[in-house]
Amino acid sequence: MEASNASDEFIPAGLAAYGIEADEIERAVIGAAHQTFWPPILELLQLDTSQVPVERNPDLSQAPPER
Amino acid sequence: MSEALDLSLREQAAAVAGGEADATELLEACLERIGERNPALNSVVETFPERSREMLATAPPGPLHGVPIVIKDEWPLPWRAQRFGAAEMPAPTAPGESGPYRALRDAGAVIVGVGNMHELGAGSTGNISVYGPARNPWNLERCPGGSSSGPAAAVAGGLVAGAVGADGVGSIRYPAAYCGLTGLKPTFGRAAMAGHHMAEISTTIVSGALCADAADCRLLDSVLYGEELRAGTPDGIRIGVIRAEVSEDVAPALREACEEAIEDLRRETGGELREIELPELAAATLATVLIANSESLADVTVERLNELDPELSPIGRGLLKYRVLLPAIATIKAGQVRTMARRTLARVFEEVDVIAWPTVPAVAPPLAAPLVELPSGTVTADEANVRGGALANLTGIPAISVPVGSSEGLPIGLQLQAAWGRDELLLDAAEALERANGRRWVEAQPPAARGAETLEA
Repeated sequence: MEASNASDEFIPAGLAAYGIEADEIERAVIGAAHQTFWPPILELLQLDTSQVPVERNPDLSQAPPER
Repeated sequence: MSEALDLSLREQAAAVAGGEADATELLEACLERIGERNPALNSVVETFPERSREMLATAPPGPLHGVPIVIKDEWPLPWRAQRFGAAEMPAPTAPGESGPYRALRDAGAVIVGVGNMHELGAGSTGNISVYGPARNPWNLERCPGGSSSGPAAAVAGGLVAGAVGADGVGSIRYPAAYCGLTGLKPTFGRAAMAGHHMAEISTTIVSGALCADAADCRLLDSVLYGEELRAGTPDGIRIGVIRAEVSEDVAPALREACEEAIEDLRRETGGELREIELPELAAATLATVLIANSESLADVTVERLNELDPELSPIGRGLLKYRVLLPAIATIKAGQVRTMARRTLARVFEEVDVIAWPTVPAVAPPLAAPLVELPSGTVTADEANVRGGALANLTGIPAISVPVGSSEGLPIGLQLQAAWGRDELLLDAAEALERANGRRWVEAQPPAARGAETLEA
């Protein structure tokens, strides 16, 4: 997937879908953030986590019960 | 009385308790010093002398009786709602008794001012704030670190000996490193958190102390924890080191100083170095940011986003709006990465006592352009700093930043992380490091602290 090209459509479409207004400067900030975050997000989505059960309400003050 | 103000936090407390220092005079001297030095530092955004005098007049006996403290603009006070360094908060706020406020009050401390912070807690540099940026006492043109910028600059600048910050993604440790302080991010849930506007939502934020050294942190954090953090002897400490971006994509002077400090710690404790692997480290960084960003949206509505105060920075406005677009599946994946990282760490901490790497990969960057040069190239300080700071927030483990050197006249910090609940070990290890280097770095004073010697470049 071409992240930077996709953002040309993703950002305005996403903002419009939620009804979020953004001026030119805000859109520039959003675009820069998207260029930073989106590639690693796409990598994260490729991660096979099918064998990883999410800790439900993990107690972050302690080590997990399972290793 | 300015002499007493230059004592350490524990010495101030002992001097007041022993009658060698008068708490009223100490408070007035502190307010006077804030008046003198703060115009250059912009570390304290509000004082309230009458409230402070009232706190002192009603202060109970306690471990911090009569000792002035600065608290970050992230915690409400009975007479003041937090502003989070921003023209507008995404969540409703009101004055109130936060957990840190109660802990300080019950310990007899006197809150003398509110510390500046990076707008909305959304940055590691402190260069954006509705109050204007706080400045680094080591070099007023450099970032103090964020988001607890004001608390760090206030302590490093000698306005107070202790300050309370908050750490959601490294926000105590980054400014500690930039300003040459010791800053402890507690195990999740151990330190006072009530009254924070995200107390019931956040799974990453904790309160914690910023002080000159580990002993002062031990005292102030004991108050925030509501229990004494007892000192121990970290003999034979097993230090985990990692071959990864966090330890290798680091400015050469920092890498050298941190490697030297790790060796100092090993030698001082008669310990050993063990190489470890954290396969989820890179994913953990993104996971932390995704989770923290998602949680920050709990009180956001589209209507609120469309009516944001124009005084909020364009970056703040843009980032708030971008967060809404982050896909839910990414946050689910982030939760799974959290599980994986926690399990990996649990196994690693069976083999080592602490994990060590540089708190940040470069010294404090210029306020005007917070970029850092790393072996891999030039990146934003935020992008660089989060790599080393996020893991502790994602997994809940405690972490501490300890000053271990200097480059370009600016401090260098080493981060130590330990298993859940072993916060005391981090303080013990930090004290061992101080012994190993003759307390050179915790006693170094920045130019902005009057009458102090300067670090050599």
